[in-house]
Parts: sequence; C-alpha cells; structure tokens
Amino acid sequence: MSRARRYRPGPVEILAVSAVGLLVLHRIFADAVSTPALKAAATIFVAIVMQALPFLVLGVLLSAVIAAYVPPSFWQRALPSRPALAVPVAGCAGAVVPGCECASVPVSGSLMSRGVAPAAALAFLLSSPAINPVVIVSTFVAFPNNPEMAVARFGTSLFVAMAMGWLWLRFGRGEWIRIPGQRHADGVSRHHVFLASATHDFLHAGGFLIIGAMAAAVLNVFVPREWLGSVAGMPVVSVVALAGLAVLLSICSEADAFVAASLSEFSLTALLAFMVVGPMVDMKLIALQTGTFGRRFATRFAPATFIVAVLVSLAVGAVFLS
Amino acid sequence: MKKDTQGVILLLVGVTVLRLAWGDQYLFYVAEGMRPFLIGSGAVLLGLGGYALWEAYQGSRQSDPALGRDPEEHASEHDHGHDHGRGPRIAYLLLVPVLAVFIVAPSALGSFSAARQGTTSTAPPLDVDLPPLPPGQAELTLRDYVVRAVWDDATTLQGRRVTMTGFVTPDPSGGWWLTRMALACCAADAQASRVKVIDTATDLPADTWVTVTGSWVQGGGLRDPAAIPLLHAAAVRTVPVPRNPYE
Repeated sequence: MSRARRYRPGPVEILAVSAVGLLVLHRIFADAVSTPALKAAATIFVAIVMQALPFLVLGVLLSAVIAAYVPPSFWQRALPSRPALAVPVAGCAGAVVPGCECASVPVSGSLMSRGVAPAAALAFLLSSPAINPVVIVSTFVAFPNNPEMAVARFGTSLFVAMAMGWLWLRFGRGEWIRIPGQRHADGVSRHHVFLASATHDFLHAGGFLIIGAMAAAVLNVFVPREWLGSVAGMPVVSVVALAGLAVLLSICSEADAFVAASLSEFSLTALLAFMVVGPMVDMKLIALQTGTFGRRFATRFAPATFIVAVLVSLAVGAVFLS
Repeated sequence: MKKDTQGVILLLVGVTVLRLAWGDQYLFYVAEGMRPFLIGSGAVLLGLGGYALWEAYQGSRQSDPALGRDPEEHASEHDHGHDHGRGPRIAYLLLVPVLAVFIVAPSALGSFSAARQGTTSTAPPLDVDLPPLPPGQAELTLRDYVVRAVWDDATTLQGRRVTMTGFVTPDPSGGWWLTRMALACCAADAQASRVKVIDTATDLPADTWVTVTGSWVQGGGLRDPAAIPLLHAAAVRTVPVPRNPYE
C-alpha cells in the first residue's frame, strides 16, 4: 500500500530515539535531581503513579465493559427512572466497589454515556472511593479507640455524595459537563469498542493522572508542617485547614485514615473532615475530572463538593463527635 | 497521535510497571501487597499496546468509527476535520514516570522525610495488652518499640536487650535518631518512627542503614504522640539497605 504523506516518526524511530536518549540523559538528569527535597518528591511522584495505575487500569477496563457490553436498557432497569431516586441508589452502590478514586472517574463517565442520569453517576463517583469496605475497615483499624470515626466517616461521606447528586440535579446545567460520547457504533464489533475504549480512556485519564500526581508530590514535600500546629486549636479553622491539606496531599482513601490518626493534635471533627474531603476532592481527582468531564465541570464541582463536605463534617462532628 | 504512537506509550508504561514489580524495586514506592496488581495491570497495558500496534500495522488510514467525537480534544488541537482514531496528546505525559523510573530511579524515602515529621507514634487500642517479647535478644520493628516505650510505659521493655534496624537521621539538637518509615498504601502516606540513640560515639552520615542493639532507658517521654523514646546502644553496626526499606 503506497502512502503519499509527509514523514512522521513511527514506533521504531520513537523507540530508538528513546533508548539512545535514556542512555545519554541518564548521566545528566540523575545528577540534576540531587537535592533531598526533589529526591523525596520524585519518590512520592512515582509512588502515587504506581499506586494509582492498577486502579486506573481496572477502572478503564470496567468502563470499557460498560461501554461495549452492557446495554443502556440494563441501567434503565437497575436504577429508578426518576433521577432523584437514582441518586441515593447510586450513592449506596459505591459501597460495593473498592478502589482508588482513579477507578471511579472513568466508570462514572461511562455510565453517563450509557444513559445513566449524570446526577446519579456523580453520586457514585463521590461515594465509591469514600465508603467502600476497604476504606471503612482501615478507618476502624486506624482509630482503635474511636470506632465512631469509621461510622461517622461512612455516614457523612454517603450523605455528601447524595447531596452533591441532588444539588447537580437541581442546579447543574448541561453545558457545564461534557458527557463522554457514545462509543457504540453500528458495524463495529463490540470487542473492538471494548479495546478502543480502554485504550483511549487509559491514555486520556492517565495523562491527567500524571498532572495530579506531580502536583501532589510537590505539595507533599514542600508544604511546611509547622503552620499546621498553630491552627490545631481553633475550632473551625482547623477543620478547613485539614480539609485543604487533604486536597493537597491526595492520599489514597485506603490509607488516609492512618495519616489522619497521626495528626493527633487536631480535633476528631477536623480529622473527619480530612477523611471525608480527601476521597472526594484532591489533586488527582481534580485532574481526572477535568480530563473526563471538562474544565467547566471541574471548576464548579470540585469547590462545591469541598464546601458541602466541610459543612456536613462540621455538623456531624458537632453533634456526634464532641 | 497515531495508533502506533499510542501503542508505544502503552508499551513503555507497561514495561515500566513490570520492571518495578518483577524485582524488588516496587517496594521503594508501594506496599508489598501491590505486586500482583502491578503485574496484572502491566500485562494489560502490554496487551493494549500490542493491540494498538497491531491495528496500526493492519494499515487502515480510515477514521475509527468506534470512537465518538471528543470536543475538548478538538478544541485543544485546533482541528477542523473529523478526526477519529487519534489519541489524546496529553497521553505524552505518561512518559514522565517512565523517564523518572529509568533515569532518576528514585530511592525510598529517607532522613529528609523522617526529619520533617511532627508526631512519631499513635496510641494502640486501650483494652489490648501488648504481648511480652520473646526470650533472649529480641528483634523489633521501630514502630513496635516506639509503641511499647511511649504508650505501654515500657513494661515489656524493661531490662530487655533489643535489636532494631533502621537508618540514621541527624537530630538537630545533637546526636541522631534511628529511624524507619512505614507505609500503608504508598510512599505518599509514609510515616516515620524515631528512636533517639544515646551513649554511642558513632558519627554516621544521614541515611546510613544500621542495626542497633541496646536497651530501653527512661527519659523519652510517655503517652505523647510527639515523644521520641531513648535507646541506650550497646552496639551499632552498618548494614546494607534491606530488601524492603519500609516496615
């Protein structure tokens, strides 16, 4: 087959250049990352990426299965037709899917593309990293003397997820969100749709994950810990400060309970906010949401989720944890 | 981005993941339990990459009808045509971790991260008694030692000789701490346990791995998350970096 086109590098050229480049640049760049802070940031960056990748792969495979093999009629039967009722059902379904938030974003996008009401898919997106069994068990283990923390976390996170779904239903506008396009086309085998979706979703989401991981690694290393101690005593400021820290550190929801437990100078309410906000709003999630649903969506949804989560945490903490 | 470029990126990421998981290098970054998931996802990425390359060599220049339009991608690339089958350009960022692993090969977190930390331990369950140490010279993790010393009034440590392995972190107020980090999921959540080593003349550079044999002495503080217990050292021996630097 003859092709009249200008030269574009093919995979062989890319591999060859990469191999030579790696050998040559190894000397130069290995020494450039020499300060302890940059070394630690590099370690944390690779760690966040390697921790997230298996879950992202799982998420894109699941979302590709949804896109290729599960007909929209299944979702119409599985979920209540009224979106206001589908929101709590989808929120509770999050309790069944374990894993990092990296899996929930592609799955949620795929659900939307198959006709699930965006409000319900968003409730699932928020709840599944926050209330799945691994997270709740790890919270019990991290707070052995305060079992109420795990219960509070479950209830607060579920409520916030549903509240965000209902808020979207009431106030959300179609032009704010870019629903991933229908993947199924006539004449194309479903297996091809599956593979093409998985490939595209991984490349797309993976790129954004890298941005989130880089931001989180830099913040993890360069955020000074001293100022945290000074706000620990102030009732509301400490809650907002820990919520903000949760966003910056972007720790996986399975592990954030242990980090929370180590922040012992803070009130239980502030720790609750840290654990509720983290799985719902962090650098990885903001990046993934921007990539999957568009910047217009992320700039509205992420801050709104943050505010709702902090308010509900304050309320739950004031009533149940003091 | 053409199909074959997509395939190469997927292959490179898959190879990187497998490279880390095949040996022990993944232990610098994530918990040991992640290994099967890393291997599985690496294999999937190799499969997807191989399929993309195979498709590219099948040689179709036509649009891929399976993928829908991606408006944001169009806006960013300023394309005017219908352009299926093109992967998103942001995927080039996936090469960054590939380069990081193969060029920089970051090591496990060390004294820099351990020194930055505020608290050093958290209280164990109140109603559970810590089991006594096995007879003779006992080998402990640093976290175990800290919990026993700070939260259990060192009842299980009194008069016992213990051995612990960790790395050196200089104490700003003089001397050094024996440190080891523990992670739950990945290095981003790693926390350090620190023990102040006293009565030793050794002056070791930061991040040196050592095995210290000694016994507990009073003075480190009790029942305080920021307390750093003391260890009176009888012997300090440098050792190679353990297979898993984290506890």
